Amino acid sequence: MAQGASLAAVVAVWAAVVNARLFPGDIVPSPAAVAGRIVGLALSADFYGHLRVTAAEIAGGLALAAVAGILLGVAIGARPLLRRAYEPWLHYLAPTPKIVFFPVMLMLFGVGAASKVSLATLGAFFPIVLGTISGVREMDPVLVQVGRGFALSPYRMLTMVYVPAIRAALVNAVRLGFGVAVVVVLLAETKLSSAGIGYLIIDAYRHFDMPLLAALVLVLFGLAILANAGLARLARHGAPAVSR
Amino acid sequence: MSDAATLSGRVRSRRPRFSPAPLLGVATVLGLLAALEALIRTGLVSPFVVPPPSTVLLAGIDLLWHGNGLEALLATAFELLSAAVLVGLIGLSVGTLLYRVTALRRTYEGWVAALAATPLVLVYPFFLVMFGRSAATIVAVGVVAGLPPMVLRTIEGFAGVRPVLVDVGRALNLRPVRVFWSIEFPAALPVIFSGFRLGLGFALINIVGMEFLINYGGLGQLINEHAELYDLPETYACIALVVVVSAVFVAASEHLERRLRG
Amino acid sequence: MTSPEPSAPVPPLSGDTSAVVGWTAALRVMNVTKRFHTGREIVTAVDDVSFDVREGEFLSVIGPSGCGKSTLFKIIGGLLGGFSGEVRVGGRSIQGPHRDIGMVFQEESTFPWRSVLDNVAFPLEASGMGRAERLDRAAHFVSLVGLKGFERRFPSELSGGMRQRVAIARTLAFNPKILLMDEPFAALDEQTRYLLGDKVLQIQQATKQTTLLITHNIGEAVQLSDRVLVMTYRPGRIKAVVEVDLPRPRSDDVITSDAFARHVAGLWRNLKEEASRGLAESEALVSGGAG
Repeated sequence: MAQGASLAAVVAVWAAVVNARLFPGDIVPSPAAVAGRIVGLALSADFYGHLRVTAAEIAGGLALAAVAGILLGVAIGARPLLRRAYEPWLHYLAPTPKIVFFPVMLMLFGVGAASKVSLATLGAFFPIVLGTISGVREMDPVLVQVGRGFALSPYRMLTMVYVPAIRAALVNAVRLGFGVAVVVVLLAETKLSSAGIGYLIIDAYRHFDMPLLAALVLVLFGLAILANAGLARLARHGAPAVSR
Repeated sequence: MSDAATLSGRVRSRRPRFSPAPLLGVATVLGLLAALEALIRTGLVSPFVVPPPSTVLLAGIDLLWHGNGLEALLATAFELLSAAVLVGLIGLSVGTLLYRVTALRRTYEGWVAALAATPLVLVYPFFLVMFGRSAATIVAVGVVAGLPPMVLRTIEGFAGVRPVLVDVGRALNLRPVRVFWSIEFPAALPVIFSGFRLGLGFALINIVGMEFLINYGGLGQLINEHAELYDLPETYACIALVVVVSAVFVAASEHLERRLRG
Repeated sequence: MTSPEPSAPVPPLSGDTSAVVGWTAALRVMNVTKRFHTGREIVTAVDDVSFDVREGEFLSVIGPSGCGKSTLFKIIGGLLGGFSGEVRVGGRSIQGPHRDIGMVFQEESTFPWRSVLDNVAFPLEASGMGRAERLDRAAHFVSLVGLKGFERRFPSELSGGMRQRVAIARTLAFNPKILLMDEPFAALDEQTRYLLGDKVLQIQQATKQTTLLITHNIGEAVQLSDRVLVMTYRPGRIKAVVEVDLPRPRSDDVITSDAFARHVAGLWRNLKEEASRGLAESEALVSGGAG
């Protein structure tokens, strides 16, 4: 109710700004024009093709980053010596702009999806490994002693003790990693690619199609908010139990 | 250290015992670099994909000394400074407004939080249309990226002020404006500042990224140019420089925050 | 400012000992009732409470947890409105916070971003006093509460007891006619509590500071007070007024005297029934919630 009203208020301000011609030329398209393009996107098969490419790149990168980040995070987090040796390095490397590694990925993996997947992996790795380390650090040490008491193998320790014990921290870490992966994949697509939402955005910019550009950005924001809310739900209610 | 001192709990900092951990960290990093160097020198890894670390180091020194490395660094720093001022002013005003006006806060705080979860940088083509390939576009992207954490933490900071501190002011019959500036603002400052630091981090990432994407400005542009010319050692050196700059920036802002917290 | 309440006969009030003549009321609480609406229920926190605080007197209000003591504190301090009845200072009914009442809160209330000296100088700064004068005055009150040498320290560097002394000094520096304290020692350990209580006692005896203390601690009330008002558990009413006739000036060994023990025992007999009722009701609430 209030949300609907506030949305209406934002759209009204937007329309007023366009009508008053506060911006030169056609930089800010009218809400009606953008709405038309959003409907157009929703009805075009082409759009879903590009969406699939971007989603696959993000998912691939996120999956690789999650495996590497969680394994390394538990290995480092469980040992105070390793934690103190490596956590500062990871901590200071984490907030560097990952997009600048794109030329390296292009040289290593070519201009196709692999360069974006590898960049997404690099980007999502840091929040996941750091989140895992802090999750392990804060878990009750008695749980580890229980696992040791049952003489669990390292694999069982990981799947039966560490991962379930820090599940909430892991989901939140993956959520942060997801955000980074989305950004680097889309930026990389705007830099050099022939498919994906980022490619569509930069293509709309090149053709100066501002309504399409706005439509793409809004749809993208909507999808990101939905995906993020989904992951947040997972963190709140706990991930579904994995049956073996 | 005497037992009495331990018991009284008055001794706050004790001399740190020697720990091998930092040494292990440095040794591991140096070891990995040495191994990479060896792999390239023995021909197992092609120097046309990854140049040897020693070459990268020399290229980096050369860039800073003779090339335009320092110039690029300063350009990036200037953009970051501009974005920092804007993030601080706009974020503080918007955050304070949202906190004070309950109706606005109820409706729009969720929006800001949702926006924080979106790839906001992707609005950069709009800025390109408005400002062209210029520092203004880069700073605008930095501001957009840095605002959400600043706004959210400003609201959080004010909301977290303990009511008893405000009561102290009310008991002295202070005017609301006075209570705000003398009590609520300083009380919320540590949290607001942590949001500012977070926002600055996002701004830096996006500023360098934007320089790379639109090939304009500082360090990001340098990477882009060297990559396009296929100057591998210089490309890697510039990337390393970006990593160093952002690490120094994070360390410096953490230090400042600790100092401010007293 | 100094218009004393006429000591003329006042109408008898419940729980009032105003039959005594020869004293002036610094603060009068008259038929104060406060109800809270919690969902469908209406809770009477304070029910028709009346009493006087005499000029120069140390008066304590004691009662079990949940008897509405803190509500009373906020009403007298002017931080809580919407009550019936009247609170008078210097003969005038108060609306909101009053210059003549200085409050010391139960919770940690020092400003972590200000040094000890700047904390104590805060109310003086707010009232527009010049820098040199206010720092001078603040330094006096810092040493009065025994924190000389700690002026430049910050609250995070002090113990809980020291921080509460800073809060007391800050309130005293404003020179209030009436010092109003809400369980100022509640967060402290037993030994610190007695030592800090003695500090307050010595200051109060030296300055003849009119003081109203809200507490649930019997020993504290006896150690410090001239009179103790006993409140009932929900709704909060005045149950009894007890004179503490321990001789003044009292020193720090007052708490080891036989008379002290007798007073503590007497007050406990008065309070026991209320405290038990409070305990039983809160337990009923817990088991009700569980069932």
